[in-house]
Amino acid sequence: MTNSENASTLQRFNASTLAKPYHGFSLSRILAITLNTLTELTRLRVFYVLLVFGLLLIGSSIFMAQFSFQQEFQILKDISLGAISIFTSLLAIVATARLLPQDIEDRTVYTILAKPVPRFEYVLGKIAGVLLLLAISTLMMSAAFLLVLYLREQAVIHATMRQMAGAPPEQIADALRAIRSSALNPDMLPGIIIIYLKACLLAALTLFVSTFASTNIFTIVVMAFVYFIGHLQATAREYWLQEHSSGLLTRVFLAFVALLFPDLQAFNLVDDIVAGTAISLALFAKTALLGIFYTTIYTLLAAFVFYGKEL
Amino acid sequence: MTDSSPRLVAQESSGGGSCAEASSAVAVHGLTKMFPVPLHPARGIVAVKDLNLRIEPGEVYGLLGPNGSGKSTTLKVILGLVSPTRGRTEIFGRNSRLVESREAVGFLPENPYFYKYLTGEETLRFFGRLCGLRRARLKQRVNELLDLVGLTKARKRRLGTYSKGMLQRIGLAQALIHDPRLVVLDEPTAGVDPAGSREIRDLILDLKRRGITVLLSSHLLAQAQEICDRVGILADGVLVREGHLHELIAIENQTELVIADASAHLVDEIESMINRSDAKLIERRKSTTTLERLFLEATAKNDEGTTKQT
Repeated sequence: MTNSENASTLQRFNASTLAKPYHGFSLSRILAITLNTLTELTRLRVFYVLLVFGLLLIGSSIFMAQFSFQQEFQILKDISLGAISIFTSLLAIVATARLLPQDIEDRTVYTILAKPVPRFEYVLGKIAGVLLLLAISTLMMSAAFLLVLYLREQAVIHATMRQMAGAPPEQIADALRAIRSSALNPDMLPGIIIIYLKACLLAALTLFVSTFASTNIFTIVVMAFVYFIGHLQATAREYWLQEHSSGLLTRVFLAFVALLFPDLQAFNLVDDIVAGTAISLALFAKTALLGIFYTTIYTLLAAFVFYGKEL
Repeated sequence: MTDSSPRLVAQESSGGGSCAEASSAVAVHGLTKMFPVPLHPARGIVAVKDLNLRIEPGEVYGLLGPNGSGKSTTLKVILGLVSPTRGRTEIFGRNSRLVESREAVGFLPENPYFYKYLTGEETLRFFGRLCGLRRARLKQRVNELLDLVGLTKARKRRLGTYSKGMLQRIGLAQALIHDPRLVVLDEPTAGVDPAGSREIRDLILDLKRRGITVLLSSHLLAQAQEICDRVGILADGVLVREGHLHELIAIENQTELVIADASAHLVDEIESMINRSDAKLIERRKSTTTLERLFLEATAKNDEGTTKQT
């Protein structure tokens, strides 16, 4: 590389390339950060470790004890949906906790924010990258779960057909209908969507905590507390309201607690699905809106804190 | 290569002057930055105190000072990464707290890591997209910059495998991706070997030739002396010296004559003329090369030998 070569290359820059003028909001900038975050996370070993564990657990449920096909499908759904819920939640926390602190520690955030990139776009791009990763992992685990369930359903159907070889056709049809209704049914879809929204909520809350946390470990420990308290808080709230009056002060206090520790038990629809109870549209819509509301609020809070942060 | 020119240093009386320009690439007005001490909000660590700077378009300005003198903090305030406690900073007349002021700026932080999982090419594409570059234009720019910083062959390698010098060069390339009018470099040659350091210096001089303003912080004074038009020296957050480099380091009453192929008789004659005048000869010695030039020549020859053998 010589000076004359450099000079000639540099002269070409002026003639050929000029960036577009700055706009206060740019989806393409957010998309660039989103895709970069997704690339970053998919190249981390922890993503594959968690995904493989999740898939193994779902796959192993095929060998669970079987008493009747109803019980078998119940166990399979219980274990698989539980695994999807736990691993997406874990992935949401672990993947998000490192995003901002790592960028600050490596000074990568300086090079990004020294470009014409508003801070809220940076935060939005980061969370969108995590949400995309969670969507991919939820889809992969759900696909594995549905495949296992389908294979078991087919095996049970074949076994039933063999056993009922001499039975009247109506009886066989009834038996097959019973098998199909207890295996694959559309009620599982809202359940999976709610599991995903719960993971989104946890990711957004983790991002918010990480804007003021000094280390990744601190964020993960705080989120572990939030996770457990979030699952217990509904019971604690009911107990509190039984013992105390529901005055304005109490309501404000409970609203504050609910903001800090979202009611994660409300996102647990797995029990209904396992029991074969249909999830009403109202319950699904209410829970989904709650998840979207919390995710939005925590993302806005994270953007607000990050906006004022000294880097 | 050792220069055989004799060097004469004689005292004289001389004057100098400077001129001020109206528009500025960077303007810092009364900047003070205090960092609060945890649990003692009333107390604070003063990183920069009442700093006033003006950097003109097209010049290379060196912000010099020891570690902890406030250089990086000043750069961060100029880039809008840190808010000032008092005062104001501007880039080409725009308040540097506004995001749009950064359209004109490229920044290379000290010891940058970037994303280790990205290749050199992916890194430049990412930063290009952030600046609004797209498709063919982005591709062309990435190719040009990889060529400029000599990383075309390493474009598909992940940054995790890059050497320190290569990281600095890809860092410089990302700073230039949107063709900025101002380039801010925080310790651009820290930890880089002499050859890499020389390449970065040459790139900075090329930016200057294009009319790009360069603001760099450094504590490597010899290098700053080679490339800076003006310097400011910070100590404990206070600007203690500022001005054109040649004015700051010139010894007003001394002159150097560097003569090639002079006979001993000619030098003796000049010396006797000096002795007959009111001036005083302070030193007479052979000119020397720099240790950096010696190192680069020695390692370049060694490289050639190795290449020939292989």
